[in-house]
Amino acid sequence: MGLGAYIIRRLLLVIPTIIGVTILIFGVTMILSPETRAMIYISDIRQMRAIPDIIRMYGLADPPHVQYFRWMQQVLTGNLGWGVTDNAPVLTSILRRLPSTIEIVLPSIPIIILVGIYFGVKSAVHQDRPLDHITRFWAIFGWSLPTFWLAIMLLAIFYGWLGWFPPGVNGMPLGSQAVQYVTSGQWTRYTGLYTIDGLLNGQPWITADALKHLVLPTMSLTIIQVALIIRVMRSSMLETLGKNYIITAKAKGLKNSEVINRHARRNALIPVATIAGMLTAGLLTGVIITETIYNIEGLGRWAAKAATGGFGGGTVDIPAVLGFSMFTCLVYVFANLIVDVLYAYLDPRIRLG
Amino acid sequence: MEEYRKSMAPQIKELKFTLRRIKRSPLSIVGIVIIIGFSCIALLAPVLAPPVYTDPMTIWRDSFKNEPRPPGSPVLATDIGLLAMEKGYTVHLWGTAAGSYDIYYGCIWGTITAFRIGLVVTAVALIIGLIIGMISGYYGGVVDELMMRFTDIIFAFPGLVLCMALVVALPFSISLDLSLFVFAAIIFIGVAVIGTFVLKISGGLSVLTGFICSVVFVILDLYVLHRPPLWAYSIPLTRLDKSLIALTIVGWPGYARLIRGEVLRIKIEDYVEASKAVGCSDLRIMFRHILPNSLYPILITASLDIGGIVLLAAALSFLGLGADAGYADWGQMISFARNFVSVTMKYWYTFFIPGLFIFLFVLGWNLLGDAFRDILDPTLRRR
Repeated sequence: MGLGAYIIRRLLLVIPTIIGVTILIFGVTMILSPETRAMIYISDIRQMRAIPDIIRMYGLADPPHVQYFRWMQQVLTGNLGWGVTDNAPVLTSILRRLPSTIEIVLPSIPIIILVGIYFGVKSAVHQDRPLDHITRFWAIFGWSLPTFWLAIMLLAIFYGWLGWFPPGVNGMPLGSQAVQYVTSGQWTRYTGLYTIDGLLNGQPWITADALKHLVLPTMSLTIIQVALIIRVMRSSMLETLGKNYIITAKAKGLKNSEVINRHARRNALIPVATIAGMLTAGLLTGVIITETIYNIEGLGRWAAKAATGGFGGGTVDIPAVLGFSMFTCLVYVFANLIVDVLYAYLDPRIRLG
Repeated sequence: MEEYRKSMAPQIKELKFTLRRIKRSPLSIVGIVIIIGFSCIALLAPVLAPPVYTDPMTIWRDSFKNEPRPPGSPVLATDIGLLAMEKGYTVHLWGTAAGSYDIYYGCIWGTITAFRIGLVVTAVALIIGLIIGMISGYYGGVVDELMMRFTDIIFAFPGLVLCMALVVALPFSISLDLSLFVFAAIIFIGVAVIGTFVLKISGGLSVLTGFICSVVFVILDLYVLHRPPLWAYSIPLTRLDKSLIALTIVGWPGYARLIRGEVLRIKIEDYVEASKAVGCSDLRIMFRHILPNSLYPILITASLDIGGIVLLAAALSFLGLGADAGYADWGQMISFARNFVSVTMKYWYTFFIPGLFIFLFVLGWNLLGDAFRDILDPTLRRR
């Protein structure tokens, strides 16, 4: 099977998964009584009397499959419902908040991968020497750290104690001066990423300010996820170093660095590619926590607010929770798809077998 | 006796080897010490921190003030404060969190919550995964395909996201018509018995048919028949129960996959063929021949998972989706601190101490799981 055919087959397999996901998400809402689901449509306690009418109007008591197809029709036309958290359509919320999340996640990915691979290889090459012990220590400690605790501690140390990196103001990863400028009329929103928009607006100080505010969120995402890559890279590298072709390469007199960089590391990278899916899940989950702690109005904070009723004990914003679940699911499924294709590209045995 | 000792000799030798391996690896000893330490805290909780309220899982507070007080602050002479003094509390040993909750008390009793979450969720998820993975791997075919596609769907969600959605959607009480279960059980047992003893089909196949019949009946009853409930019963769910259910739903597919893989690997072994030839029933083959041989990888994964589940539960609690406010739960205690940390290091004890408990607990299980893997896995242990 060629790579093209493999990609097409893999794409077709995604369709049933996505349909299944929508059924599951919809099934979860079906646990709620029609009355609870009707509550979404009222904004005022005085409208409570209208609930039977709302149930009838939106058909909330119809058989589940009828409601599912109606809901799917809406979803396919891009209507994910109205979110109370932002007082805006769910799709609009997602699109508006996405850049803030991307701004945290995007810089973390290369750091996680490069640092993880570097230390994983070092650790395996220096097996059972101090460097290996330190790296393994980090790997196992990082994996046991609660994200929210790490994030709070970083905030307490770097802001509360040292005063270097403050949290965001008004839900933006910016200081109050920058927020004032951004909310004034002079600011044009090109991409939604403050770092890039700062340059496009000709205000490099805003870019600098945004970068300063992104250090801690990025750090709390990377420290934990790097642990995962290190673990996998180390064990995969150890396995590869024991292979016969490595011994052959050494026997024919190649330099040690050449053996490690050109023979061992390349082959050891393959299992790391499969971990990328877990990495995506870790980042998607990590974002919920870090955005909440660093006060950044991205997708994660929106989901947390929606699920808890805005931290104040208000009503749960069901369309927003569903919209967020659906969105993360899509991201996750497609990330896994890309990983599989990459894997098949790296290791031809996969698509032939 | 002599005969018995001789027959047990290989096992004893292996056990000694295992113990020697444990002694040689310092990290696994650290893990064991941590878990034993936490077990002691959980068992001695009533002695270490005598309950002030009738419900020991509620953290006591001597006022409703939001300002945390540092470790060593005296207990205030309010109603509850006086009650606490009677029980022997003179100072807040580790200070108070926002809302004047005693941090020491919460941390000690939170250990019980952590064990409960970790062990209950893992055990229930393991049992569900075991049954589904076994059936799926052993019989294969359409059943396998359906079950694996279902696990695919659950895997398509990052754990925390699905947990959030489930906790939000689960009601505070589940109303059930118990007669439905009675009917389903009668159908299940009836079909299985008729299949095995009257029609003489194999036992496993009849059980499976019975299972499918009762599932079909439940679906028909819920969506088509609309009969009035004969034996209505409602189960109240606390907020903690809701997160336990959500965590279990997220957890079981991993085990189902793992066990299915193990069954597929083992069912082609010669000894399984041999027991089939001798005429063992499907159930006997599954539980006496396949299960014991796939136990180690499953136990290793489970011990590694306990830490992960406690982390996930803590994250849920931190977001405010865990137990009720005031319930002894580490994640929630950190969420009390959320409003203060962005201001100053002055209140370090409100987040540092409960966080340290979570971290050490998870670390203990992770070290233990890692050690188990290196020591028990036959492919790694003799290296």
